[in-house]
Amino acid sequence: MTELKLERRLQATRGFYRNFVKEFYRDAHKAKAEGTPVAWVASTFPVEILLAMDVFPVWPENYASLCAAKRVSVKLCELAESKGFSKDICSYAKCVVGSLFERGDLPERGMPKPDFLVASTCACDTHFKWFQFISRHLKVPLFLLDVPYNILGADSEHLERTHIEFYISQLEELIDSLEKQTNVVLERDKLREKIMLSDRTSQLWEEIQKYRKTTPTPMDARDAFSAVFFMLSIPGTQMAVNFYEKLCNEVKERAENKFGVIENEIYRLVWDNLPPWFDLRFFNYLNSLGAVVVAETFSHVWTGRLDPSKPLESLAKKYLSNFANCSIDRKINLIQNLVEEFEVDGIILPTNWGCRMMSIGETIVKETVYNKLGVPSLILDIDSSDWRSYNETQVKKNVEIFLQVLSGKKQGG
Amino acid sequence: MNIFSSFRDLLSTRHEVAKNWKAKGKHVIGWSCTYTPEELIHAADALPVMVFGSLESTKLADVHLPINVCSFSRSCFNSALKGDYDYLDGFVTSSSCDNRNKIFDMWRYYVRIPYLHFINTPRSTTELAHDFFYAEISRFKTSLEEICRKTISTAALNRAIQVYNDNRLLLKRVYDLRKMQPPLISGVEALEIVLSSMVTLKEKHNDLLNRLLAEIPNRVNPPKRGVRLLVSGSVMDNTELLKIVESVGGSVVADDWCTGSRYFWNLVDSGSDPLVAIARRYLGKIPSSFMLEQKERFGHTIKIAKQRDVEAAIIFVLKFCDTHMFDAPQLMEVLKDIGLPVLCLEWEHSLSGMAQVKTRIEAFIEMVSGVE
Ligand code: SF4
Ligand code: SF4
Repeated sequence: MTELKLERRLQATRGFYRNFVKEFYRDAHKAKAEGTPVAWVASTFPVEILLAMDVFPVWPENYASLCAAKRVSVKLCELAESKGFSKDICSYAKCVVGSLFERGDLPERGMPKPDFLVASTCACDTHFKWFQFISRHLKVPLFLLDVPYNILGADSEHLERTHIEFYISQLEELIDSLEKQTNVVLERDKLREKIMLSDRTSQLWEEIQKYRKTTPTPMDARDAFSAVFFMLSIPGTQMAVNFYEKLCNEVKERAENKFGVIENEIYRLVWDNLPPWFDLRFFNYLNSLGAVVVAETFSHVWTGRLDPSKPLESLAKKYLSNFANCSIDRKINLIQNLVEEFEVDGIILPTNWGCRMMSIGETIVKETVYNKLGVPSLILDIDSSDWRSYNETQVKKNVEIFLQVLSGKKQGG
Repeated sequence: MNIFSSFRDLLSTRHEVAKNWKAKGKHVIGWSCTYTPEELIHAADALPVMVFGSLESTKLADVHLPINVCSFSRSCFNSALKGDYDYLDGFVTSSSCDNRNKIFDMWRYYVRIPYLHFINTPRSTTELAHDFFYAEISRFKTSLEEICRKTISTAALNRAIQVYNDNRLLLKRVYDLRKMQPPLISGVEALEIVLSSMVTLKEKHNDLLNRLLAEIPNRVNPPKRGVRLLVSGSVMDNTELLKIVESVGGSVVADDWCTGSRYFWNLVDSGSDPLVAIARRYLGKIPSSFMLEQKERFGHTIKIAKQRDVEAAIIFVLKFCDTHMFDAPQLMEVLKDIGLPVLCLEWEHSLSGMAQVKTRIEAFIEMVSGVE
């Protein structure tokens, strides 16, 4: 397998872990030591609120993926299992639960202990059940948002009014509780500022994605799965905006110069759900076969344009329409759009052992997209962070067969 | 007497009974989550039936679903694909867990059914949530009225509330028969009774329950004395597991699952506006594990364990049921704190691997009896 030539990798994301992630955790520990309140946050919680209240948000899902990348996640999963947790729960949750019991060294000294927890029922049951446990175990309060399920798969412009209203009123109650918890009053100006920054973050991220439509594509999934970190964990910060401005310029320049991730781009792919965090070189392997991931569903659902004059309503719309909270139709629409706009040859649909949301429905996606657009999909059984049942040989074999099918289609026209 | 076989018959003939009902020109509506307000269906003069799975292989569903999916939902979906539920005029579900939400997509895409309805059930029980749920229930009412071509009157709702509350009170009295030592009815019998109530017209079920309660004091062959057990879990739509438990010296006297106490424990407040009262009852009932109120849920479990003098508990965790998988180690701790030995078992709806399960239950019950 030929490794991606170094000069073709993006500059902006180079040393991402060392330069940004490590620093983020260092800052988190520092903030904690200085008395700043620290909250553990489950994704799809409107983190913009916390940022506006000067709470430091730490994101356990990211920590789990980091542990996977550092190859310690399995050890932590086993630790959680030894405490009675089923093997079949989400490996993110197992990993973080395990880290609560780990006595030895943890990457980045672990996450700083939270003052409180926030989660929502949007995305998955795992989030709130997992946080309920952490709350009992660490004896810290948990604040929850109860988010209606978007059964119609509506995008942010077509949501049901009752859902938006239920979300907003809860957010108002939650803000009251957080103010009591932190003794900080949420200043509306500050919230507007964060909303503006978050919107700018989304806008930049969307622009970056736009340049990836170019052939050859200037940016691959490996970079996207690193860079999306800011979008997800601290979208309402100047730091995120600065990073994406730089990334955007670089991607734009490459697109204009037709400087692709690989020289000879043959297959353009869409990647659904999560990557195997423990083996991101998987994308380099794809590259070595002439395949490149031009879009991830993940990169297209976390953005959400926000209107600073209607902060709570915009947040409601952003999170209610997140596809994790929607019926499969929303994912199908998204993938179909990506296929058409990004001139995609094939779709990779990875399942995730402990995640129902990412595992159920991939057959519907596969069938529907094929029937409508003639583009084939490959369902791959992998897990985000637990490699114990990951059969690398089999997975690679399936990928190779899939690419042959795509090749046949290309030649056959 | 064989009143017990009457309940068993209701279960085994449930598809025929439903078809006969339909032959009279009336509707049959399937439901799948105990947060579905059956009173509304009843008041629309339709027959509400819970959709159960079966013990057959699920090869039709397996084509569409990966392995890591709740095997109960998988089995229900399989039965639907097989045509077991072709008589349904509609299927209603609720946003109660990831598995259910996502498998609803499967029903939409692959099961030919005239009417599908999704009730958006909040996970919280604040006043905001109650308002939201009330609106959802009103929406459900309107849509049922369209499907059944019938106006659901206040009088009909009140009648339904009455019949359903009667059923709940009677079931509670049946459950109380297990407070005795030895219990007057077995865990298997109790489960058959509750399951049959979920698929039978409630008036008819009430008649049978009344008969049972009248006859039971003279029971000549009460169940054998055994280790008094609490069982806990999500759903249990067949009696095989409890048969195993009771065949090796266990005596199931209390349960905390959706096909047991959580189904009928709470009454609808019959004094107020019926639709409001129904909505409040369902959202406010003993919480399942997908609700945010974990403390209240565990509180109920502890309460019934104490009321019924249980000596040990078995937690049946259905594979890939996330909310219960997360609750299990915590519930185990809570039950141990009140001094109960606890066995936690993962099981598959298809009952594969039962030999090993049986061995573990046997060893557990032996261990508990040895302690006494
Ligand atoms: S991977 Fe799935 S189950 Fe795990 S936290 Fe994310 S959405 Fe939830
Ligand atoms: S058994 Fe668990 S996973 Fe399955 S439908 Fe019920 S609550 Fe959901």
